[in-house]
Amino acid sequence: MSTNQIRWQDYKSHLHPIWCPGCGHFGVLNGIYQALAKLQLPHHMISFISGIGCSSRIPGYTKTYGFNSIHGRAIPIASGVKIANPDLKVIVATGDGDCMAIGTGHFPHAAKRNVDITVIMMDNGIYGLTKGQTSPTSPLNLKTKSAPFGNPELPLNPILFAMAFNSSFVARSFSGNIPHLTDIIAQAIDHKGFSFVQVLSPCVTYRGKELFSLYKEICKPLPEDYNQEDRISAYKYAEDEETLWIGIFYKKVRETLEERFQKINEIAKKVAPKDKEEILNRYLP
Amino acid sequence: MKEELCIGFVGAGGAGVVSIGEMLIQACASEGLSAMATMSFGPQIRGGESSSKVRFSSSYEILSPGDNCDILVAYHLSEYPKFKGELELKDNTIIFIEHDDPMAQNLPFEVKPEMKIFFVPFQKLAKEEAKNPLAANIISLGVISEMLNLPDKGIINVIRRKFKKKGEDIISANLKAFEIGRKFAREGLTTLSDEEKFKYQARKPRLVLTGNDAVAIGAIYAGCNFFAGYPITPSSEVMHFISELLPMFGGKFLQVEDEISAICHCIGNSFAGGRPLTVTSGPGLSLMQEGIGLASMAEIPVVIVDVQRGGPSTGIPTKSEQSDLLPAVFGTHGDTPKVVLAPADVQDCFDVTMEAFYAAEHFQMPAIVLSDQFLGHRYETIDKEKLLSGFKYREGRILPTIEELENYIRYKDTPTGISPMAIPGMEKGMYLASGITHNEKGDPTSLSETHEKMIAKRFRKLQEVRKELNYIRHYGDMDAKVAIVGWGSTKGVIKETVLKLQKEGYKVKGVVPQIIYPPNYKQFDQYVRNTEIFFVFEVSWNQQFAKYLKTYHLPKENQIQTYSIAGGRAIKFKEVYETVKEVLK
Repeated sequence: MSTNQIRWQDYKSHLHPIWCPGCGHFGVLNGIYQALAKLQLPHHMISFISGIGCSSRIPGYTKTYGFNSIHGRAIPIASGVKIANPDLKVIVATGDGDCMAIGTGHFPHAAKRNVDITVIMMDNGIYGLTKGQTSPTSPLNLKTKSAPFGNPELPLNPILFAMAFNSSFVARSFSGNIPHLTDIIAQAIDHKGFSFVQVLSPCVTYRGKELFSLYKEICKPLPEDYNQEDRISAYKYAEDEETLWIGIFYKKVRETLEERFQKINEIAKKVAPKDKEEILNRYLP
Repeated sequence: MKEELCIGFVGAGGAGVVSIGEMLIQACASEGLSAMATMSFGPQIRGGESSSKVRFSSSYEILSPGDNCDILVAYHLSEYPKFKGELELKDNTIIFIEHDDPMAQNLPFEVKPEMKIFFVPFQKLAKEEAKNPLAANIISLGVISEMLNLPDKGIINVIRRKFKKKGEDIISANLKAFEIGRKFAREGLTTLSDEEKFKYQARKPRLVLTGNDAVAIGAIYAGCNFFAGYPITPSSEVMHFISELLPMFGGKFLQVEDEISAICHCIGNSFAGGRPLTVTSGPGLSLMQEGIGLASMAEIPVVIVDVQRGGPSTGIPTKSEQSDLLPAVFGTHGDTPKVVLAPADVQDCFDVTMEAFYAAEHFQMPAIVLSDQFLGHRYETIDKEKLLSGFKYREGRILPTIEELENYIRYKDTPTGISPMAIPGMEKGMYLASGITHNEKGDPTSLSETHEKMIAKRFRKLQEVRKELNYIRHYGDMDAKVAIVGWGSTKGVIKETVLKLQKEGYKVKGVVPQIIYPPNYKQFDQYVRNTEIFFVFEVSWNQQFAKYLKTYHLPKENQIQTYSIAGGRAIKFKEVYETVKEVLK
């Protein structure tokens, strides 16, 4: 082992998390540190973008170029970062509210563009930061601060959602299983193209500690012979409500936005004016 | 002989009204004339009735589109009433009407004794002599060119250029059509007097640019390397043009899902070292407001061009208004320092866009350029050397030195408020950018003391903006007691009024600030010192500019006389001239 090896602790920033004791997000943060160390990514080449929510505090807790932005907008900001400097590893930390409610509209477009960013969505099925309202992944009939008679809506299924828009990497993990989480996050970051990871990350304050034990019971790794390039299997396993399958549901490398930009630049250069002043000559009668 | 002419064209879809207006201004440019052309359309997506108006001179610079037409060419009289506001007539307008027009006996305008009306068989000449029914508009150009002594070398040059791609046969067919028109005028129409004809001197060819062209070119000259945007009338031409230009110079263009994504793409791109641009119109500006606040708070340079249209809500997408002024200055929630700039003509669209890049980059804040449909869509002829005379490339952004990167403090509370900005990829520069209240290091906090200190730091940068950006246009006699004040596209009629009143011996001045925010008190005061009456002209029913002036520059209410109209049309020269002259008399 070289002495220049970056330890997982080295990715910690000087800030201390504001989360409640026992929050699932501690596990996610730990998994992120481990994954960055596993990939040995230099701090200054990582840009960690978030929106608003408990999950979105994560960039502040990592020693990277972080950006804690506005609610729902982490994905387009991250996409802008990647376009400016394709050498950076660009990661989004988001939650079920940030990603599947206020910011949902950006997801399909980032996925279809296949911009090379990784979206880690911490899913606790509740709005924790604003103290306990219903989220897009809250189960039917769940009583919350904003649904005192029970949630009247069915939850969104984030894996099916990501599949529907042709995300090139779709995975699920659980904050209570750090080795699994580390491996999935590392693979997602390493994947060339738009990658999405749903991390089940229970909120101890508003959803109770029992979710940890429930998830431990019903989360199972996808079968060993599972074909990651088969879209039909991905939909089938994602629809299962008895067992919450964890692992990589779908993965297929295809041309990224950055690669297509390069091609466009090559085509455009062939017909480019020799300098800026020549542009003006087009406007001479 | 006439030193300037204003010619209007009107007709139904397919008559080639826009095309003939474009050809005429290009012909003027070809012979070095100063000219301005405006087009107006019905609501149809394609085809449909339209009008175009070209005003030109070789003796002096044309400052506004002109209130009334010296000449009107009507291919279909039935369409005239829809454009009578754009194509007002004079008592002695010379009018050319399609001979077979069904309304020829029942003219849709008041006929004055001094008017001259010619009925010309444009359609018949096109069908029978040119053998091409589409050539009627070129024939009409031949007719008026012969009658009025228009720059015919320029017209011939433009016909050649316009049909170059279609081959020599098409070129000669159109040149023939032009000649058919001239011959008809020589042989079949009563000659006009010398006083009615145009006098000009040919000069070096000029460029023909719209404000939207000038914004796109300005951005390229300013080193823009990324554009994200969503199509919206009347700004989309900037997008079209820059989508072609940026990749040619190694930049990247992205059409995104909405304006929120557009501003956020730009913010991310700038955070990571890019030099981005987004262009929109009113509804898009509304959607971008939260992002604009983020850019101000996280101190990230970003340039937003708003080509204003009639509002609120959908309003009149195809027509102009000056009603995004207060939303641009105060639109986002919170106390938000930013720069708001206003171009006043097509050349300005080029200059001000470049200035906006420098301001955003140097002061690390959003810079909003408030253009409008009136500027964005109008054509002007501009001398190339003059256009480029204001060009100087300035980088703007201050990066940290190697020493500063040791124990780097991103939002360092400096005397100017400007803190060196590290870019992802720089070793040791890691920090947290955020929209949440943060301290100098970038760490989130909810301490009121820190909140106040950091707001003060960000606002301190506006002092530097005032020192560096120096941009108020002024005309006339600075000692005059009467000042005409306006902003943006109303500059043309304000300047024209000042020049005319001065010629008539009146003491008057015009003041048109191009830096709207931060207000530059010192500079503004210097031009309005000793002024007793301020006339404020603006295209905002709610008098946004007058409110802005009362807030920042002119607290004594009784000094201000406002003249405001709702959008959908521009303020005419005579409205300014007559209002001000009434008081001067």
